Amino acid sequence: MSTAEQNQRLVWKGATAELTAKPPDNFERFYISERLLGWIIPIALLLVWELFARLGILPQNWLPAPTVVGKTIYELAVAGDLWKHAGITIARVFVGFVLGASAGTLFGALTGYLPIARKLLDPSLQALRSVPSIAWVPLFLLWLGIQETSKIALISVGAFFPVYLNLSVAMRHIDPKLLEVGKLYRLSSLQMIRRLILPAVLPEYIVGLRSGLGLAWMFVVAAELLGASSGIGYLMVDGEMTGRAAIILASVILFAIFGKTTDWMMNALGRKLLGHRAR
Amino acid sequence: MINSGFDERGTVNIEIVHKAFSGSKGSLLALKDIQLTINPGEFVCIVGGSGCGKTTLLRIIAGLETDYEGAVFLDGKKLTGPGLDRGVVFQEHRLLSWLTVHDNIGFGLAGLPPEKRSRDIRHYIGLVGLDHFEYEYPHQLSGGMSQRVAIARALAGRPEVLLLDEPFASLDALTRMRMQREILSIWEAERTTVVLVTHDIEEAVYLADRVVIMSPQPGTIRNILPVRLSRPRDRTDREFVRVRRAVHGELFAPGGMAQVALESL
Repeated sequence: MSTAEQNQRLVWKGATAELTAKPPDNFERFYISERLLGWIIPIALLLVWELFARLGILPQNWLPAPTVVGKTIYELAVAGDLWKHAGITIARVFVGFVLGASAGTLFGALTGYLPIARKLLDPSLQALRSVPSIAWVPLFLLWLGIQETSKIALISVGAFFPVYLNLSVAMRHIDPKLLEVGKLYRLSSLQMIRRLILPAVLPEYIVGLRSGLGLAWMFVVAAELLGASSGIGYLMVDGEMTGRAAIILASVILFAIFGKTTDWMMNALGRKLLGHRAR
Repeated sequence: MINSGFDERGTVNIEIVHKAFSGSKGSLLALKDIQLTINPGEFVCIVGGSGCGKTTLLRIIAGLETDYEGAVFLDGKKLTGPGLDRGVVFQEHRLLSWLTVHDNIGFGLAGLPPEKRSRDIRHYIGLVGLDHFEYEYPHQLSGGMSQRVAIARALAGRPEVLLLDEPFASLDALTRMRMQREILSIWEAERTTVVLVTHDIEEAVYLADRVVIMSPQPGTIRNILPVRLSRPRDRTDREFVRVRRAVHGELFAPGGMAQVALESL
C-alpha cells in the first residue's frame, strides 16, 4: 500500500471515529455490572451445593461436592486418562463433523443451485431427516461394527442435516435482484457462484456449520454411551457402572467445555470470514 | 436507416411490437407499439403511472427482458442481452453487502488491469462525491450515499447509456432533490445518454431534454414533450410550472389538451 493510500485510510478512520457516537462513560460501567448479574445464580448454586454436600445433606455418591468433581478432573488429568479419552472424543467429533459437513455442503449447494437436483434429492433427504438420528444406531452397529466407523457415521449424520438445510435454503432464497446484478455484468455460472452466491449465503452457511458442530457433539455422546471402550462418553458409562457420580459429573463438565470451546472457535472463524458484515 | 454513420455513440433505437407477460391468469400485454429514438448524450425521462410498462421498457433496453417481439438497437447494433455498454441503476441500490464501496464500484471491472481498475474506481468515487467512504460497507451508508455508489458502479464500465429505474423514489424529498442536481452534473461530466424512469412529473421536467409520457393497458407512448428550459432549472419558475402542468395534463386528461399549451411555449 502506498503512503498516499495509507493517508487516505487514516483520513477515513478519523472520519468514522467522529461519526460513531460514544456511549456516556457511566453506560460502560453499568454494562459490566449487568454482565456480572448473570454470574450471581450459578455461583450461589455452587456455594449451596458445596455446603449441602459438606454437611452431608446430599449423599456423596449421589451428588458429590463441586470441589470433589474438580478434584476428579484434576486426578484424571494427572493420571493421563483425561487426555486419552478427550483426545479420542475430539478426534471422533472432528472426523465425523468434517465428513458430515462436507457432504452437507455438497448436497446443499447442489439442491440450492439446481432446481432439478432439489426436486430429485430433497424429498428423500427430508424423509431421512424425519428419522430421529439415534434410531440409526442399531443399523450402523450391524453394518459397520462396534469400532470407530459406526460412531463416525452417526456423528456425520448429525452434522450433515443442519449444514445441508441451511445452505440449500439460503441458496434457494437468495435475492433474485442480486443475481440480476451479476447478469448485468455478464458473469458466467461459475463467476456467479463464486462472486455472488457464495458470499451472499455465507452467514447462513456458518450458522449451519455451528449447529452441525453442536449436533456432532450431541451424537458423539450417544455413540460413546452406546458402546465404546474409550472417550469421555465411555468415562460416563464407567462412572455409572462403578457408581462414581463424580466421574459422571466431571465428564458432563468436560463435554460442556469442549463443546463450548469448539463452538467459540467456529464462531470466531465465522466472524473472520464475514469481516465487517458481522455487527 | 439504422446503419447510417454515428458521430457520437449512445444512440438507442427502440422498436418494440409487443411485450407480454404470461401468468397464471393468462397473459398480460405490457407494451405495445413502442417507437422511440434516443439521441447520443440526450437525457430522456419516461413518466407514467404504475403498470404502464415503463420499468419493463427500461429492462428491455438493459437486456434483462429478452422475450418480446421487436428489437432494440444501440448504435445500430441489435441488443440481445445485458452488456457493459449499458449501466443500470435500480430503485434499490442492490449493492453487495460484503464488498466495500470501492469494491462494489469495481464489481464489473474484474477484467481490467489492476492499476487502471483502481484509477477508474477512484475517478467515479470522486465523481459521486464519496471520497472518504471508499472502505465503508453498504450498511454504513445512508440511502442517498448507497444510491451514489450504485450510480458510480453503473458508470464505472464507461457505458454509452445510463439506465435509471426510479433511482430516487425511495429517498426522502430533500435528498432526492440533491440527487437530481447531482445526476445532472454527472451527466454533464460524463456525456452519456441517460434514460430515467420515474413517476415523479417534477423530477422528469427538472431533468429531461424530452419527457416520454406512457399510458397503461397496454403500455404505449402517449406523447413525447420536449423541455426547452435552460439548466439549472428553477422548479418555481413560471415556465417550469407550465411544462409540468402540460405533462400532468397529458398523463391525466384524455384528449391531449396539454399539447396545445406546450406548443405555445
